[in-house]
Amino acid sequence: MTVVADFKYYKNEDISASITLPLTESIVELSHHIIEEQKLHPYEEDDLLNALENFVYSNNENHNDKQSNEALNITLCVNNDEDIIRYWEKQFKEETVSYGDKSGSSDSELFSTAYHKLVHSGIALDTMLQVEQSYAHDVAKLIQQRDEQIEKLTKDQEDMMNKKLEEVQTGNISSEEINNLEQMHIEQQSFMLVKWISKIDTLKETQRREFRDWVMKLLEEHQRTITLQSSFSSPSSPAVIKTFPPITSVLHETNDPQISSLEESFTIHLGSQMKQIYNIRILSANILDLCSIPYDTSNNEQQAQRIQTALALYTNDLCGTVLLTDINVDSMGVSKDFIEEASKSSDFHVDSIDKQLDIIKLHALDARSAENYTNTGSKKKGLIPGDVVITKHSNLCLAHLVFHMMVDESLYSSDMNSRHYIILAIRNIMKVCCSYDITTLTIPLLLGHEMTENMTVQWCTKRAELVLKCVKGFMIEMTSWGGSELKNLQFVVPKGISEEVFNSLATMLPSIFRVSNPLVFKVK
Amino acid sequence: MAKLYEKYEALFQELELASSEKEFTYFKKPCIGAMMFFALQHKDEMCGTNGLPLTPNSISILGRSQILKTLKHIGIAQHIDLVRGKHEKLIIVFEYWNYTLYNIIESGGISVEQIKHLAHQILSALAYLNKRGIVHRCLSPDNILYNKDTRQIKLYNYGIYYITDSGSEVNFPIGTPKYMSPETLVQGLNKDYISGPKVDVWSLGIILTELALGRVLWKELNLSQTFRKILSLIRGDADNVFERLAREQDHLETYKTLPEELKDFINQCLRTNLETRPLPQLLLDHPFLSNAQDNICPAPSPVGRKLLLNSRPLDEIYHLWQLAGGDVWREMKKEGLNRFKPPFLTTLKIVTREGQWVGETKDDNIRYDTRVVSLSIDSLIERLAHIPPSAYFPLFETEYPVKRYLDKDKEKDNLSPLPLIIRERDTEYQFHRIVQLSRLLEAYPYSKVMSQIIKEAKIDIPPFLRHKVWTCLLHVKGNIEDIYARINKEKWTPTDRQIDVDIPRCHQYNELLSSKTGHTKLKRVLKAWVASHPQFEYWQGLDSLCAPFVFLNFNDEATAYACFSTFIPKYLHNFFLHDNSAVVREYLSKFSHLIAFHDAELANHLSEINFIPDLFAIPWFLTMFSHVLPLHKLFHLWDKLLLGDASFPLFIGVSILQQLRETLLSSGFNECILLFSDLPEVDIEQCVTDSINIYCITPRSITFRTHESQHTRLEGADLQRHNQSLGEFCSSLNRGRLVGSDEHKVKETQSPCYRH
Repeated sequence: MTVVADFKYYKNEDISASITLPLTESIVELSHHIIEEQKLHPYEEDDLLNALENFVYSNNENHNDKQSNEALNITLCVNNDEDIIRYWEKQFKEETVSYGDKSGSSDSELFSTAYHKLVHSGIALDTMLQVEQSYAHDVAKLIQQRDEQIEKLTKDQEDMMNKKLEEVQTGNISSEEINNLEQMHIEQQSFMLVKWISKIDTLKETQRREFRDWVMKLLEEHQRTITLQSSFSSPSSPAVIKTFPPITSVLHETNDPQISSLEESFTIHLGSQMKQIYNIRILSANILDLCSIPYDTSNNEQQAQRIQTALALYTNDLCGTVLLTDINVDSMGVSKDFIEEASKSSDFHVDSIDKQLDIIKLHALDARSAENYTNTGSKKKGLIPGDVVITKHSNLCLAHLVFHMMVDESLYSSDMNSRHYIILAIRNIMKVCCSYDITTLTIPLLLGHEMTENMTVQWCTKRAELVLKCVKGFMIEMTSWGGSELKNLQFVVPKGISEEVFNSLATMLPSIFRVSNPLVFKVK
Repeated sequence: MAKLYEKYEALFQELELASSEKEFTYFKKPCIGAMMFFALQHKDEMCGTNGLPLTPNSISILGRSQILKTLKHIGIAQHIDLVRGKHEKLIIVFEYWNYTLYNIIESGGISVEQIKHLAHQILSALAYLNKRGIVHRCLSPDNILYNKDTRQIKLYNYGIYYITDSGSEVNFPIGTPKYMSPETLVQGLNKDYISGPKVDVWSLGIILTELALGRVLWKELNLSQTFRKILSLIRGDADNVFERLAREQDHLETYKTLPEELKDFINQCLRTNLETRPLPQLLLDHPFLSNAQDNICPAPSPVGRKLLLNSRPLDEIYHLWQLAGGDVWREMKKEGLNRFKPPFLTTLKIVTREGQWVGETKDDNIRYDTRVVSLSIDSLIERLAHIPPSAYFPLFETEYPVKRYLDKDKEKDNLSPLPLIIRERDTEYQFHRIVQLSRLLEAYPYSKVMSQIIKEAKIDIPPFLRHKVWTCLLHVKGNIEDIYARINKEKWTPTDRQIDVDIPRCHQYNELLSSKTGHTKLKRVLKAWVASHPQFEYWQGLDSLCAPFVFLNFNDEATAYACFSTFIPKYLHNFFLHDNSAVVREYLSKFSHLIAFHDAELANHLSEINFIPDLFAIPWFLTMFSHVLPLHKLFHLWDKLLLGDASFPLFIGVSILQQLRETLLSSGFNECILLFSDLPEVDIEQCVTDSINIYCITPRSITFRTHESQHTRLEGADLQRHNQSLGEFCSSLNRGRLVGSDEHKVKETQSPCYRH
């Protein structure tokens, strides 16, 4: 707001100057400028200053008074008292503690505190992991039985069908009967499936309840007798904990012994003056393996990772993994492989993956209707490429949160640039990491889970360079967001990658990020 | 003199005797409180109008809060600090004790005289705040501290509306419902509304009503009923609100007994028409307050021992408390604040392509909690308990060394070899340093004290006083405020665009310098320098050079400007000429000579691979390393630089090369370029020690420059007239030169700072 000020000063002479309000400088400075501009005498300084001060203060006052009086008059005329009261009541109730509703800790909060305490107590950790293991084993056994039975049923049905088909050829049975039979088979199949699903779900639900009760009880016990007694009884029966044969034989074999043969890590720093230190690792692996469920008690590395994940669950150092979901295949946002993997054991801390997906589906509809998407066409309801769905897990090996990034076929084009939606999605993910204390993030470097034909050496290098450079930019940007900063960043490349390509990608890392050179302590 | 000294000694003995008593309680302890709140989080927006990412609101608040540190008034609690945490958490630290006006109202029975006294105190505090452009906005009895002994009041929480940019940078409403003025309420939906000083006058009116009627208003009403009551006041007789309130409260009898002046005073405060409601400054002249000043506060009756620590300013005590292990975040946690849901429970469900967040769980713990946590100072008191009272009043007469100090001095000598970083974290050591130096600084610019200050600064500079010590070392004095105020910093100049581009890239990891306030201040100081030095130009790098001074003197632009403009001629004379090539060329060739003089092998290697100083050293010297080092390291470097002469930076350059020697010797041209494109981590303390050593063993003639300022040039150095051609690889040695270096040894003793 610029006003032209006229005021009387020394000897009542009038002077006018144009002043921008609110002032960006002090009144003293302003008076000096006016003296300079209007070529006033230095001895008039004080009078001018006084006049200016009066002018500025009274101007502010008048402006304030007028505005407020107008607003008061409006209320007197319109009688909008109730709106005003409602507004302030809402503000105070929602945003302040003294006037807000007293909310006690929720169930999940209590459980989380209990679990966190126990897992960090040192004594209970082993027992808890063993219990989890035994539960997982039970579920796995059930799943195995289910698969066997369904397989058997399918085989029986096939045999029967073949027999009948032969009869058709001989003309004993009409095709109608065959159709009926088929219908019946399908019904049998789905009936059996439903039966099993409910059976498994019931088991999981029981397990979950038992586990949670047990943890709460354990904590009470623990608090009563802080003396180290490792005689914690396990939930249902004391005999549950026993040694298990490795379940890997039961499940399909996913664990390649050479899982991490191609791997390299660096410590890097970012920033021109203030240097931030990060750990970066590149490895070749099947990214789904990283979020697998750790059954194999003999696999030490996996067990260590499992303990790490359990310890960090309710802390401010979470792990996240980015998974790609082809939106044309899995429109609900999460790939089938992952759902299968995640439901292999019960989750004691969060909803089962199916339940989470149901909630997400509701939210997905919300998200689009909230934004003004009418102009881009009505078919874009629900998720679109570039959206990210987030699921939580407590039972996976190396991830608390999984970011499911929706992608489509444009992913494979060779001319992806930094404005591509998928890069923006990575930025969005990193922003979430920043706000929710996710300090370890795993990203598929080539933005693909498997090696395909068109992934030439050239293509790989180009893609990796793009991703690395963009991620670097986001990391620098992140430091100014005021949240938590990433500590570890993992880049995963598909398993089938040749050693040669892997090495060329690995050498790219230290050239893009600056490897920190440590201060060496020298003995004098 | 001797007599005076004896008297002093006797006083100390008495004091120390007193301190040997075992059983005692302190009569008054330093009172510091802390309160936590959250800044509004930016979520969806990608970047601001300048194309750069948005500055978090907590940073803006931090920048704006700095000015509160300068507020000193008997009626307001001193603001001490604002601490920023992750996820937009903020903790405000201020003077606080656990007794407020609310306790007084509850207990009731206040005389009219007392009301007069209270009203006067509150009004003068408000008038003081208004003068500095601050509106309290949440004035309430809870926010007024009351000292039962002295009947003194102190306002607190007065800065929250100001620092949050009129509440726009926080989620919660600012105000206390019962005391909010009707105009604030009706403009709640208007986002552009900014409260003026008169809203506080209304709040004061309600507070005085409660005091006068001896009753807490609307105690049993809920939120919406309270607001309805306030809004009802704008209808009906607007000139007699006080009577209406009394009638409504069934206290008409009490009302009738009150003096007319008081009634009128309260009615003026509670006028709904803004134009007739007076400003705090005007109300001070109201007849009701005519002899309020005469109301003398009773002197405190000391019970228990006097705590000498109280003689130190509160911000210093807070600084020492932090050194002694005090942590506001931990104190908050102890009181059940600063506890949040684990992020695993609150994460969101979907992030859309556009960056919209869906399905978050709100954590109720981030709501605004007005609870104030008193910080426990006991650990610090205990830590400093054994310190003799004499340490609080150091003497500097060299003729009469305090005996008691000798053993202390020995201890200090043992301490000195400890690394600087450890010394800076040592509570007792810092206590002694701060007490000593602040005493010396009080005497500045008395010339005799300068040598003492230099002597102390040579040992080290306590971070708490760094800004003041630097100002002394740069000999800044005189009416700098006036000089600065007279420079036109608003006028548009062609360099503005470049300054605007540079500032958002200058030391932005630093919270203060990345705030909006920091940007404005840096820009003003830079523009002032450009405007007042027409012979020079704005060169990129000047921003980095200016940043340390602005950071250290954040609330005092004039001092920052004065330091900055004395620093440049001292160390960078003529570096900012439009054509500075001759100056820079000479400087760099001197640098080459110096490398050759001290490390022939390295010099040979560098010249072999053609890695000349022009390729890496220009930003070093043009910004005195402020472009390549983070501020905390730069401070340690400049602590020593300011004691050295204009040639000292060259030695710093040499010592940096010394640290990287091995790497450089084994690298080719490309590796060297890459290495220096982003200066690797440097052990700064080593670098400082090395450069002082090299400085002391180097003949002055090597660093003689024709382009050096006449004022800073050392006498004797210009005796060496054999100014060899600058293109030469190393300085030629001849007889005259050797004589020169002999002479230098004599001259060296005149150099003020690095005598050994």
